[in-house]
Amino acid sequence: MPALLEIRGLSAGLQGRRSVTQVVSNVDLDVQPGEILGVVGESGCGKSTLATAIMRLLVPPQVLQSGSMTLRLNEGSSYDLIKLSESELRELRWRHLSYIPQGSMNSLNPVLRVERQMTDTLIQHGLSDKEARSRSAAALELVNLEPKILYSYPHELSGGMRQRVIIAAAVSMHPTLIVADELTTALDVVTQRQILQELIGIRDELGATIILITHDMGVVAQIADRVAVMYAGKIAELGTVNGIFETPLHPYSQGLIGSIPRESGQRVEGLPGEAPSPWNYPTGCRFHPRCPKVFDHCRAQTPALQAQESDRWAACHLYDTEVAADV
Amino acid sequence: MTPAPASLAAEPSAAPARRDVFLYVLRRFGVYLFTLWAAITVAFFIFRLVPGDPMNILLGNLTRVEGRQRDAEAQEAIIAHYRQIFGMDEPLPLQYVNYLRKAVLGGLDLGPSFVEYPAQTKDLVFRRMPWTIGIFTTSVLLAWLVGTGLGALIGWLQRSRLSQLAVVISTLLQITPVYLVALGLIIYVGYTWRILPAGGPYARHLQPEWTWEFISSLLTHAILPMLSNMIVIGAGFTLGMRALMISVLGEDYLTFARAKGLTPFTVLKDYAFRNALIPQVTALAIIVGATLNGTFIIEVLFQLPGLGTLFVQAMGLRDFNTMQAVVLFSIFAVLTLTLIVDLALPLLDPRIRRTA
Repeated sequence: MPALLEIRGLSAGLQGRRSVTQVVSNVDLDVQPGEILGVVGESGCGKSTLATAIMRLLVPPQVLQSGSMTLRLNEGSSYDLIKLSESELRELRWRHLSYIPQGSMNSLNPVLRVERQMTDTLIQHGLSDKEARSRSAAALELVNLEPKILYSYPHELSGGMRQRVIIAAAVSMHPTLIVADELTTALDVVTQRQILQELIGIRDELGATIILITHDMGVVAQIADRVAVMYAGKIAELGTVNGIFETPLHPYSQGLIGSIPRESGQRVEGLPGEAPSPWNYPTGCRFHPRCPKVFDHCRAQTPALQAQESDRWAACHLYDTEVAADV
Repeated sequence: MTPAPASLAAEPSAAPARRDVFLYVLRRFGVYLFTLWAAITVAFFIFRLVPGDPMNILLGNLTRVEGRQRDAEAQEAIIAHYRQIFGMDEPLPLQYVNYLRKAVLGGLDLGPSFVEYPAQTKDLVFRRMPWTIGIFTTSVLLAWLVGTGLGALIGWLQRSRLSQLAVVISTLLQITPVYLVALGLIIYVGYTWRILPAGGPYARHLQPEWTWEFISSLLTHAILPMLSNMIVIGAGFTLGMRALMISVLGEDYLTFARAKGLTPFTVLKDYAFRNALIPQVTALAIIVGATLNGTFIIEVLFQLPGLGTLFVQAMGLRDFNTMQAVVLFSIFAVLTLTLIVDLALPLLDPRIRRTA
């Protein structure tokens, strides 16, 4: 089955006075139709930049440097998102490509009623006023909200309700791909769990594909099918949730999984050091200063993301047969 | 409050919302009345602190006109006579009570004026008022409209060279005192290049009447005074609106609006402009108060027979009645405009309806 979204060599960064500081470096990623792909990593590892780059929502000083992002829709058409003009993007957005932003608590305009904010897009995409309203009401029901919420202003709703309104808005046109950036971060665990359940429901009911950006391994474990672990602007490891949680290959993934509390009484193993900022990414493997299994080769050579076993990719010299043979 | 009839129960949210609005209006009106009282009280006492007894000034003028000095007894008699006419023979607290009584119950009757004795101050103010209102209101409103539109545009296009240039120009204009702008316009446009008339309310040979000649003369004479006011105030409004737009453009809901695939025009209109407009309307209310004195200076510079010129004349004579009338009127106008703006805000911002 061809990937729904095929990202190749995607780089994005921050435009400085003289040069561009690369935040996301040369990312390759395939998103399969119907899956929930979790993208995890520490703060500042470039996961939100990746999400905004996929949505083509980068604003200066953020710049898209290179790469391609091929979106294949079921009707057979395919687009390179990077090459699309603003008006072509507008056509694609919401109909096929939806976004649940980071900080979605503030993503509703405080002076417009929910109805206006949900229907304006639908009307823009060619629906009649009546259709737009019934679609919006139906979308609200998908996330367990009453349709009368439509007549509320955002400040009259609780945080969880606002988050659900955003999700409802994002799915109201039954999009093919939804990019959700930290959608449960500001919520308490109970609400978080409910919303994640609703998200799974949406995937099953609408057949949507979801890219879920989060720093929370727990969230990923709960709902994702596959995980991409990001470190310092690169993908360190990619695989199924079960695979990565049971046998993480990359030392960084091992560290992340090791830092999840499992049994009471057991001490949690933390990762030493701090994640580097884009202004001083280390040479070679960007994880090498913190890596417990570092060897000479890591400091000089950047490892490529290579297939390891079925449905598993890792960017680490430990699994590089030629390099490993030298050691 | 009477209990709501049963028919209202079907629509539970409407009744409390209406009550909220009612309470908001009531509270705002209370604040308005209190401020009005406080301001006219301050106005009463502050002029009496200005050095110089109006009677001495009056007597001095009289002596100059008649060309001879009267004896002390006659002077005393004249002063006593005038003091009684102007109600200044009473002790200060009683004067204050009389002043309040006349202002509120007597229909703004503040007695005769010195400047054009025996004309009543009330008539004087009403005769001069249209000039001030005409120049002031029109120029502030035009400046607000132009400034808001321009500010929204240069905020939206914040990265373009042209809009950065506009910021520099607006900043320069905004910090220029209004009288310098007015003088510049008078000197260059009015006298050096002789493009527009720069003095007087209308051409000297005309009489006020409903003819095209008079009206066009009136309008061309109004251009420069209004322009001086507009340039300075408008530059301020432009900068204010630009800053508001830029901060709104950074909001999460703007990114979301773009992600929804709305056209830039819709994003600008419904998400950026609408939200930036709320503080901009408040700014209008604040500026209204702050720029009335600028208008008074402009009137003097352009020799317009408005309240500003009247006030300057009255100040020279320590004409308390007239000064009070002008100030009373200005306070009333500013506070009323502020009230209107405040009452209009809930229409723009649903959050104020609840919290205020």
